[in-house]
Amino acid sequence: MSIQTRERFSAREIRQYTFRAGLSRTQGGLMELISEVYTSILGGLTLLAMAGALIVALRHSLGVGTESALAVTAVAPGFHSVALLQASATVLLALAAALLSVEMTMGPVAMTLPQTAWWLGLPVRRRGFIQPGFLKSLLWPTIAAILVVVPLALGMADHPAAGNIALAALCGVGLAWLLHGVAGWCQITNSGAWLKTVMGAVTLVAPLTLVATALYNNVAGSGAVTATQTAWMEYLPTSWPLLVADGARWPLLLVALALGLLTLVYVNLERITTAQLKASAAAGAYAASSLLSMDATELSRSLSTGPAVGRSKLRLPMVFKKGSATSRSVKTLLSTHATMALRSPSTLLRVLVLAAVPASLAAVEFLGNAILIAVVLFLCAYFAATALGATARFAAGNPAVDALMPLPAKVVRRVHYVLPAVAMTIWAAVCLGLLLALGVGSPALLILAIFAGPGLGAATLRAAFRPAPDWNMPAVASPTGPIPTGAIRSFLSGPDLTLIVLLPVLICLISGGVPAVAFPAQLTLSYLAFLWGTHVRKPKSAKDGGLFGTPAATAAAK
Amino acid sequence: MKLNVGGGGASLYFEVMSKVSDSSPGGPRLPSSAASPSTPAQRKDVVRAEKLQAGYSGNPVCGVVSFSVHSHQSLALVGPNGAGKSTVVKTVVGQLEPLSGTTLINGAEVDDRTLDFRREVAVVFDDDAFFPALTVEEHLAIVSAGHGVEDVEDVIAAELEFFGLSEQAKSRPYNLSSGQRRRMLLASAFVRPRSLLVLDEPEQRLDTAMRHKLATRLRAEVDAGLALLVVTHDPDFLTTVATKALFVADTIHVMTPQRAAAAIASENPYAE
Repeated sequence: MSIQTRERFSAREIRQYTFRAGLSRTQGGLMELISEVYTSILGGLTLLAMAGALIVALRHSLGVGTESALAVTAVAPGFHSVALLQASATVLLALAAALLSVEMTMGPVAMTLPQTAWWLGLPVRRRGFIQPGFLKSLLWPTIAAILVVVPLALGMADHPAAGNIALAALCGVGLAWLLHGVAGWCQITNSGAWLKTVMGAVTLVAPLTLVATALYNNVAGSGAVTATQTAWMEYLPTSWPLLVADGARWPLLLVALALGLLTLVYVNLERITTAQLKASAAAGAYAASSLLSMDATELSRSLSTGPAVGRSKLRLPMVFKKGSATSRSVKTLLSTHATMALRSPSTLLRVLVLAAVPASLAAVEFLGNAILIAVVLFLCAYFAATALGATARFAAGNPAVDALMPLPAKVVRRVHYVLPAVAMTIWAAVCLGLLLALGVGSPALLILAIFAGPGLGAATLRAAFRPAPDWNMPAVASPTGPIPTGAIRSFLSGPDLTLIVLLPVLICLISGGVPAVAFPAQLTLSYLAFLWGTHVRKPKSAKDGGLFGTPAATAAAK
Repeated sequence: MKLNVGGGGASLYFEVMSKVSDSSPGGPRLPSSAASPSTPAQRKDVVRAEKLQAGYSGNPVCGVVSFSVHSHQSLALVGPNGAGKSTVVKTVVGQLEPLSGTTLINGAEVDDRTLDFRREVAVVFDDDAFFPALTVEEHLAIVSAGHGVEDVEDVIAAELEFFGLSEQAKSRPYNLSSGQRRRMLLASAFVRPRSLLVLDEPEQRLDTAMRHKLATRLRAEVDAGLALLVVTHDPDFLTTVATKALFVADTIHVMTPQRAAAAIASENPYAE
């Protein structure tokens, strides 16, 4: 067929067309979005309000003191801490390394996979497609820098004048842009793989140095690391915004340097290859799906090294000859799950690092606030729980896998539960054990946390088997384009159960004591969580007798 | 011309404004089917690969390959799974860096960043990436309009008809079967001009009738002047479409399509 051509559309027109065509068939809009967020978060806030009231009542009955729970320190007297200066410098260094690593993985100039597939092959100037992504990508490091630098500068400056804080924020933004520019240049020249590896290592090791220093200080006595010994860290470039907050001006040179580098990147944007943009798009899609699953390990992997390649050759027995058919199947499944977990040692390492994060907070002078530690403990528990759900998530995405064994669906789901439950029990023991070593909590709280472990395993399953957002329903319009119905609700499945299971631990941590009633309450919650997390939903298609109308596993059990 | 691409009352119009025509030298390019039917001696290579070594992370996946394809010619790459056919093709079109060797397309080094490359070369790999909120015809409209096609609606309607997607024109990709999504991807290569078409296993997920229809059409386009580079596992598709074939393995064998079809059946390049 003969095709006649005349003139082409510009990249801008094609972008606008794609965006508007997508929005043209969405239903609802901002109000529906707000309504969905409101409904989902209201439950959580109610729970927190009830917990707050309980904390106040408990503190009163335990006679812990009249001091507000918001201001109380959770660290027992006599425990040494890491100096605030060392902590802030370490945190800034780790965040800068994380930012650079993430920037290099995500692009920093990025498009989505459909955009690379449908736009980049068109014979129009590519700058029109690439440039908006570059300009938008500047927003995230800017926001991140302001969110990090302003509170730190306010907290650490000797005389936090508004002008100094604003200039410190500017310096922080300059630093973030400089890192963005470095990542951009690496993308243009297709180089810098070693830099990404180094930054990933720095990000992982930095929090551990704080815990290690604090533990060392507790046993070293007079040989403890002092603030004077770590004063040099103030001059690391990543700490320069704090120098500006104290009145120094020379670190603002960073801003000029960053602008120069960004200009260079801007001019060379069209040199970025299609392959590079596709790789960034794939990384972005992977990160987005990890974000939706709220799996910290998958997310950190997606933002650093990319999908796991499974180099480990570790093997466990998969075939069992003794016992009934059911027990052999259960053993095979358990062995498979254990093999998959052990073949990802980096996942287990990340889970271990997450166990140390609340302790690293407690290790820092003035930061051992009970509420702060409780919030971080909740987040780390959730991230650790979801990190252990890789096998369950795979099964959720591939239902046929769970139907391979002649077992009822409920039994298969409970086998999925075993590994996360054991691992989270150990995790809770390590996490609260480290906190105890740094003077936070008590042996009773440690035992309470161990009781919560099996419940956290159930949260792993709830997050893994959450219903996916439905693109077949009318999408909801948002400022960034259409989003599927139920996205927010889906996002919160998992964190909700983690919060419910951890409530007794968190309440007791903030209250400063563990009443006897907490133990049966915790055991009951963990049991209820087990029932909730291992509950098997009837597939939607079963209602209309679809392909999965009669799940194979159930059928086999009959 | 206006292309109505919206749904319901929220119609969108993609207006073609009266702009100065193509900025490339010589004005608008002739459609591929109108390419001059020159004699074999006059035909220039559209693709020329010289001692090309394809692979990943420094590791070659197959033997060193040299070949050329000119207009009115169709080269099929065949071989067992994992032999490196798709890797070779991706390297040829610049989606992968070659480990060694060079590829020229229309006499210029491969660079998919250039306008000329994107104007001339249509590539269909098995990328399952779609805008979830856009319909089938809107996806095709992006390609067609982006290439400055006149009568976008007519061209798209004709291709939807050919690929049996007329009834799905207003469906969104994730409501289609995988075979229908495959048809949609293939249609995207036909709603635009092209002088080189690169297809990676186009027969995958297509029913027998559609395979035959596609093969016949491709052959007709090759006869009319198109240069085609195709990876395939289907002997019938191969013998209908290809004018020559490469059996890709540790070493590369040049052969006739008929012999290549026999080689596919036996996974043996020496089979007759």
